[in-house]
Amino acid sequence: MTLKYAYHSAIAGIGATPFTKDSGRTPMDQAVEACLAACEDAGLPPEKVNGMVTYSAEQNPEIEVARNLGVDELTHFSMVHHGGGAACGVIAVACQAVYSGAADYVLCYRAFNERSWHRFGAGVQDRPAGAEATEVSFSWSSPFGLVTPASWVAMFATRYMHEFGATTEDFGRVSVVDRAFAATNPYAHFFQRPITLEDHQNSRWIVEPLRLLDCCQETDGAQALLVTTAERAKDLKQKPAVIASAAQGAAEDQHMMRSYYRDSITGIPEMGLCAHQLYQSSGLSADDIQTAIIYDHFTPLVLPQLEEFGFCQRGEAKDFIRDGHLERAGRLPINTNGGQLGEAYIHGLNGIAEGVRQIRGTSVNQIGNVENVLATAGTAVPTSALILSQPN
Amino acid sequence: MSDEMTDAQKEAFAAKLRREVGNTGTPTTARDPVNQPMIRHWCDAMEDANPLYTDPDAAKRGPHQEITAPPAMLNAWTMIGLVPRVSDPEDPASGVYAMLDEAGYVGVVATNSEHVYHRYLKLGDHLTGVVKLVDVSDEKQTALGIGHFVTTETEYHDQHGNHVGSMFFRILKFRPGTGRTAGAIDGDSTTERPPRPRPSRNQNTDFFWQGSRGGELRIQQCLDCQRLQHPPGTRCPGCGATNMGHTVACGKGALYSYVVAHHPRVPSFDYPLSIGLVELEEGVRLVSNITDCGPDQLKVGMPLEAWHMQTHEDVSLPVFRPARLPRNLTTLAFDDVNVGDELPLCPIPLTPTLIVSTAIASRDYQDVHHDRDMATKKGSEDIFMNILTSSGLSARYVGDWAGSDAVFKNLKIRLGAPNYPDDCMTMSGSVTAKREADGEAIAEISFQGRNSRGPHVTGTVDVALPRA
Ligand SMILES: [Zn+2]
Repeated sequence: MTLKYAYHSAIAGIGATPFTKDSGRTPMDQAVEACLAACEDAGLPPEKVNGMVTYSAEQNPEIEVARNLGVDELTHFSMVHHGGGAACGVIAVACQAVYSGAADYVLCYRAFNERSWHRFGAGVQDRPAGAEATEVSFSWSSPFGLVTPASWVAMFATRYMHEFGATTEDFGRVSVVDRAFAATNPYAHFFQRPITLEDHQNSRWIVEPLRLLDCCQETDGAQALLVTTAERAKDLKQKPAVIASAAQGAAEDQHMMRSYYRDSITGIPEMGLCAHQLYQSSGLSADDIQTAIIYDHFTPLVLPQLEEFGFCQRGEAKDFIRDGHLERAGRLPINTNGGQLGEAYIHGLNGIAEGVRQIRGTSVNQIGNVENVLATAGTAVPTSALILSQPN
Repeated sequence: MSDEMTDAQKEAFAAKLRREVGNTGTPTTARDPVNQPMIRHWCDAMEDANPLYTDPDAAKRGPHQEITAPPAMLNAWTMIGLVPRVSDPEDPASGVYAMLDEAGYVGVVATNSEHVYHRYLKLGDHLTGVVKLVDVSDEKQTALGIGHFVTTETEYHDQHGNHVGSMFFRILKFRPGTGRTAGAIDGDSTTERPPRPRPSRNQNTDFFWQGSRGGELRIQQCLDCQRLQHPPGTRCPGCGATNMGHTVACGKGALYSYVVAHHPRVPSFDYPLSIGLVELEEGVRLVSNITDCGPDQLKVGMPLEAWHMQTHEDVSLPVFRPARLPRNLTTLAFDDVNVGDELPLCPIPLTPTLIVSTAIASRDYQDVHHDRDMATKKGSEDIFMNILTSSGLSARYVGDWAGSDAVFKNLKIRLGAPNYPDDCMTMSGSVTAKREADGEAIAEISFQGRNSRGPHVTGTVDVALPRA
């Protein structure tokens, strides 16, 4: 099996609303604004859009967004499963749509009031009991109080610390890196507010071993990306960010956020599956990646992602991080927008936009000589990843 | 009434009590010599299985060459027993107690006990104790109520007049209903808690919840290839069979990973909330709560045992507490023990049976240890464990870790939160010092027993260990 759409498509436009804690607007308003901004950025009249892809937990149906955009005909529309795990999956599906001819211009978007309306971090405490498989799956954790995303991730983190000797400081260093980049990104919620490792260690427990500063924000806002073929993208306004490859992965004995029953729970095999597909289809390797957007809903799972993509050996991410390799001048600066801890938590889509800016050379925290950018999606759920490359 | 006493009257009363300080009572000789039935009753009630106390053959090979009484029984032998209490005019302690009772300080709770053992007691030894009143405190406001601490020291001699041990003992005599929390509403215990999220279930998983309702931890099993699977599925991932049944897990496991939840707080739970990923001996894992130990006592790998917590009328959840490890059958050698070594946690479920039977086994017939109505009348929420049992269980805990041949030199405890029924006290401890004294190799163990209200017993013990 190999992905046939490698290098075929590109991200031609990016658009977002301001990222806030209380937008005062409907998510639909913001979805439409972000989509229009992505078209505007690409120089594409919105009525030319004929494909739309979003991902689960999205509450703004694509047909309503399309109506508001003035899009008359949609020939591809899909909803990718597993929330933030689908951040790169929407791009993969968009690639498939334009590669197959199902659509020419595909908008991928996410919009919500995740802070001022329903708080995402509250978890599943209010889910009513039911007999469907989704509800039954929660019965193995919710009656015991394991109801929040932070708690689901913390279970992996404790075991990872135990097996590899990582510490909460190693998690904190990820947070410090994110906040350092956010501090110089005017678009970030934490613009001009860097933190120290001491700040991290002094922040309150959310779910041990996770502290407040290990957890991403909850954000009101929207982000949209426009995908088309690399050929068509050449005729649009911006330098195309070629999608070298984009892939999805779910691995053996996969559960939603709680894949606790595998022989080992310190790796992320579904992300390893993505890495394998990306590298095989693109012909690239870890050595070819200059900067990355590593999904950071919670810091601990950044570590095994670095290992799954081969930036370091298994169990050695803590050393890679202690050596400063994620920082501005390091081997692999990550989350140069400030990440979801520092900029905003738009379920990964804002990170992909930053990847596009790194290819264009327009990031506020631009890394020198960027050839390829890796972006990953939500971990612990079935996930996805992509590599963006310079056009030929 | 004493609540109407002026400061001057209080001072006069305290002075009257204190006039007794320094006096000793008449020697009290035990009603019975050290005997096997009382020892056996004690060991049964305390669940102390050290064979040196009950098995003549094992005792013959032990450090004393014959049956000995558990050292913590020291003051049980001279306890008055179930006979009408006659105040001994010569006994300064009982005189003080009577004066306090009369003044309204009818509540009583022991707070400190410090035993020193010069030698272990053998069958036939006949003990005599002499009590000396060493202190009566000023009136104090305590959590339990306003009262006076009364401190005594008792010296124990055998039938030959040889000094075999001593006890430093302190009790609080208090006025019921005058505690710091009296009348106050305790948010946590009186607020109605919404039930936990109800487990969702269907035909694939009913067997699990039916099992836990009846106290069984059931794991799905393929009836063709015997493979276990949790969470349950509709088909065997090993052989593809749809012929699924279940096995009943033994309930033993180890902590594979854990979290301690602080925020956000769901009203159905107490926080911080310990949630573990438990790997059962059968090989599968499940998420559950780790009860009866502090979040700071959780360790990956710690042995656990299941119990079932009823959360709804028709739902019980399998949850886990630290496992009680089997007794150490080979006594630890002095050189194998290091300062900083931690003793394994040991849960002691506080059943009414344990509280009553240990009180009786230690010959403590105070009604507060077996009669709920009397206990509440005297200012307690319920019957509660007597201090001699707290000593006995502490000794059992250390003895089970150190091994049968460890010789206790002393046992010092301080009590805090009472041990009420239907709670669980979990013992923890560590080696805090090692030294040579009088040709003996001594390890000092510091320990604590915590129940859901906080530390119940805190103490230290010196044990002599064999050198190799
Ligand atoms: Zn099978």
